[in-house]
Amino acid sequence: MNTPSNLIEKIFYDDDIVKKFTLATMIWALAAFLFGLIAALQLAYWPMNGNLEWITFGRLRPLHTNAAIFAFGGNAIFAGIYHSSQRLLKTRLFSDVLSKIHFWGWQLIIVAAAITLPLGYSHGKEYAELEWPIDIAIAAIWVVFAVNFFMTIRQRREKHLYVALWFYIATIITVAVLHIVNSIEIPVSFMKSYPIYAGIQDALVQWWYGHNAVAFFLTTPFLGLMYYYVPKAANRPVYSYRLSIVHFWSLVFLYIWAGPHHLLYTSLPEWAQTLGMIFSLMLWAPSWGGMINGLLTLKGSWHLLRTEPLIKFFVAGVTFYGMATFEGPLLSIKSVSALGHYTDWIIGHVHSGALGWNGFMTFGMIYYLVPRLWRTELYSKKLLENHFWIGLTGILFYYISMVTAGLTQGMMWRAINKDGTLTYPDFIETVVRIVPLYWIRALGGALFLVGFSMMCYNIYKTIQLAPADQKPEAQVVTRSGFDEISKSSHRNLEGMGLAFSILAFLAIAVGSIVEIYPTLSIHKYISADKIQEPYTPLEIAGRDIYIKEGCYVCHSQQIRPIVSEVLRYGKASTIEESMYDHPFQWGSKRTGPDLSREGKKYPNLWHYTHMMDPRSVTQKSIMPNYPWLAEKDTDFLILRKKLSVMKTVGVPYENELVANADIHAQKQALEITADLEKNGAPKGLEKKEIIALIAYLQALGQKGKMP
Amino acid sequence: MSENKDNGKNTENFHEYDGIIEHDNPLPTWWLWSFFLTIIFAFIYFLHYEIANGPTLTDELKVSMQEIEKQQAVNVTSSPTETEDSLKEAFNKDGMLNAGKALFESKCVACHGPLLQGSIGPNLTDKFWINGAGTRMDIVKVIRTGVADKGMPPWGSVLKTEELYAVAAYVVTKQGSNPPGAKAPQGQEAP
Ligand code: HEC
Ligand code: HEC
Repeated sequence: MNTPSNLIEKIFYDDDIVKKFTLATMIWALAAFLFGLIAALQLAYWPMNGNLEWITFGRLRPLHTNAAIFAFGGNAIFAGIYHSSQRLLKTRLFSDVLSKIHFWGWQLIIVAAAITLPLGYSHGKEYAELEWPIDIAIAAIWVVFAVNFFMTIRQRREKHLYVALWFYIATIITVAVLHIVNSIEIPVSFMKSYPIYAGIQDALVQWWYGHNAVAFFLTTPFLGLMYYYVPKAANRPVYSYRLSIVHFWSLVFLYIWAGPHHLLYTSLPEWAQTLGMIFSLMLWAPSWGGMINGLLTLKGSWHLLRTEPLIKFFVAGVTFYGMATFEGPLLSIKSVSALGHYTDWIIGHVHSGALGWNGFMTFGMIYYLVPRLWRTELYSKKLLENHFWIGLTGILFYYISMVTAGLTQGMMWRAINKDGTLTYPDFIETVVRIVPLYWIRALGGALFLVGFSMMCYNIYKTIQLAPADQKPEAQVVTRSGFDEISKSSHRNLEGMGLAFSILAFLAIAVGSIVEIYPTLSIHKYISADKIQEPYTPLEIAGRDIYIKEGCYVCHSQQIRPIVSEVLRYGKASTIEESMYDHPFQWGSKRTGPDLSREGKKYPNLWHYTHMMDPRSVTQKSIMPNYPWLAEKDTDFLILRKKLSVMKTVGVPYENELVANADIHAQKQALEITADLEKNGAPKGLEKKEIIALIAYLQALGQKGKMP
Repeated sequence: MSENKDNGKNTENFHEYDGIIEHDNPLPTWWLWSFFLTIIFAFIYFLHYEIANGPTLTDELKVSMQEIEKQQAVNVTSSPTETEDSLKEAFNKDGMLNAGKALFESKCVACHGPLLQGSIGPNLTDKFWINGAGTRMDIVKVIRTGVADKGMPPWGSVLKTEELYAVAAYVVTKQGSNPPGAKAPQGQEAP
């Protein structure tokens, strides 16, 4: 601060790293959209998995979501943050080495995910599927990013932090906290671990994480990008500074509480559900604060839509943001959740945000960045225009078909006749009804991808035609703001990077602690007479296969206290029933029926037949075949280690059972095999994975000592 | 860059960063009000349900379950009592067998085989019965209530009474049909 503020300096921004992240965004976007399209086609026509285990729906969906959020979204925000922060702080990034480690480290993590998820290495927790070695790598790279970013702030030449930077700060701090807390797990082997949380604890921590991954990975950083690129591209002033202040702090403080809205009507204690609902409602206005600031910034620049068509992406993106953040609080109202939860409505909701907000904001940003980074003009505005309209049509097809499918199925599930019976007792009827809509959704996804391919070509041509000389240009900067005296305390806070960051941390800590802390002592919530039996060793093996195959992406294990659910599936789920579930498997989507009371519903042979080819017992089923389960052997020996880790995290296994877990498992496997053979199944299955899976399915809902 | 002198309502170049001008327009009133309203609603909602002992989800379920059980009870008491003879009469109605065949093919073949010869579930054409002795009453009962823990689902809540009779009638006509590949007998031989 001892340099006089009128000193003129010549510096170079590191735009090389921005170029790298931009290109990575494009490449991974293509992968993410393609995986999404294949997954969509599989629901319309199951053989689209080619009977390949690596891309069956249960494994492909995590690959798609991780690619979309962390590979596409992640690289996009890194590109934008690194580009805009340097300019807003008038400072080159702190360290080129850290930037490079950040870039290559992140790409390596993505490659690791792209290999391990299809192989079935998974935690079974949505958006946090990656196994523990990768979790550690993510934490390490995030710290590298944080150091690089915060040290740049420290060295800044612009004293006051612009609103975009507030959002970046909140993002970096919160994502670190979320990721670390949600990933506390104990390894069993190199690529297998169990979380320390169980049942309601795990559910609460997971959706605190899951919801805020949306909030702090897909919302706050993109709001930051909006605050930089929208006024830049439109060359318009930002509408309201005080709106920025109010909506930033209220958003950051309120968002963190809203996680339990993913768990309404579950066995999560009701006070937490209520908090989840009311905080989601209160989030509506703060979210719209961002939208208002974005749209009113663009007000008066409508003529630019013709000359600078990339602004269309921003207008649509911010509008989709407004739609999604209205729909979110709506879906958090308990009675609306009762209808919408577990259905495709949620999938539609997510994609209006992901494709409309994150997708279009990123596209707008890249169309803005590439010509400037490569010092040229965009190859074709016409192509850009086509991309916009085709992409928009795609999103609308997607959204409308999914909301219709969700409402249709939700209404069918709950329809009850006058005589008190279900109108559609056969689950499959409710699936067959919406398959046509799955086709329309796939068409929407395909259109979105077609639009994006045009963008790829456009960007490729732009870069190809850029001048060969790409030597960095010096920027002339002066230090500013250091001599400003302000009576406004927030203005002063904007001049204090550290204090600002600490306050942001406190804002997210309150809600986290209030919600998570009470459930850490799960025993408070459990009645002694309802304590469960833990799973047998073979059932544990089967459970791990269930997680590995991603059955939880299509099946829930949580019966809600709603009449139609009780009629369809049996008594509402209790806290005790999942008390030993590390991780919990409540699921979030019912493409197939709930399985929490599946045990003993059907004979073993039914399950064998169904898993080999679901259509041989349920006509028109869209569940994939799992023939490889009858070919692969169960690893019995590792069960000792698995049980001992389970014991460490609190499942009351006898020492004898842990020590002889494999023997117990083999014994149970023989019993099941004998029953199967007696009824006509092929011989020689006793070591196969299918037996362990059947053992698990037959144990579901059978572990309680309930009357 | 630097704060404008006349603070407050001024919307002219309030701050500037990298060429981005920041204005300071007032908060839209409707926006502010909707924020306040959601906060007030949230507060009241929390008070009602978490402090003032408003009904829990389990309470609400109990009430609606009683409602449903009442409807179901009315339905049971209003239907005439079944006897072997009343069933015989009902089974002989026109169109019963066709309806029964169609139902059997969509709901039962997965476990009992297309010829009722048995696969996952037992052979339904022989004289051996695990449940009851193969009377119409017995067959209707086992189809209606299922066999818990043995993997025969209860169909009483899935099929209407007419449909249940139809599929039972179809099973009765297949008695002694001796299909090829029949599953080995299970249970007791009927007298
Ligand atoms: C693409 C989504 C999807 C995936 C993935 C999936 N299922 Fe299903 N599942 C369904 C659908 C749809 C049904 C209903 C139709 C039927 O019975 O096949 C179903 C039905 C079932 C049923 C019968 C439930 C009942 O009570 O009738 C079981 C058991 C089951 N699935 C187990 C599994 C297991 C185990 C896995 C993982 C290995 C799995 N499913 C993966 C969609 C899926
Ligand atoms: C999920 C497989 C499954 C389905 C579907 C199924 N059943 Fe069964 N069924 C069984 C099993 C298993 C048994 C044997 C129960 C036992 O051991 O007591 C059985 C028993 C029976 C019996 C009594 C047989 C005896 O020997 O006691 C009748 C009658 C019967 N089923 C009729 C039907 C009809 C009619 C349908 C279709 C509406 C049907 N079942 C659908 C599995 C099934």
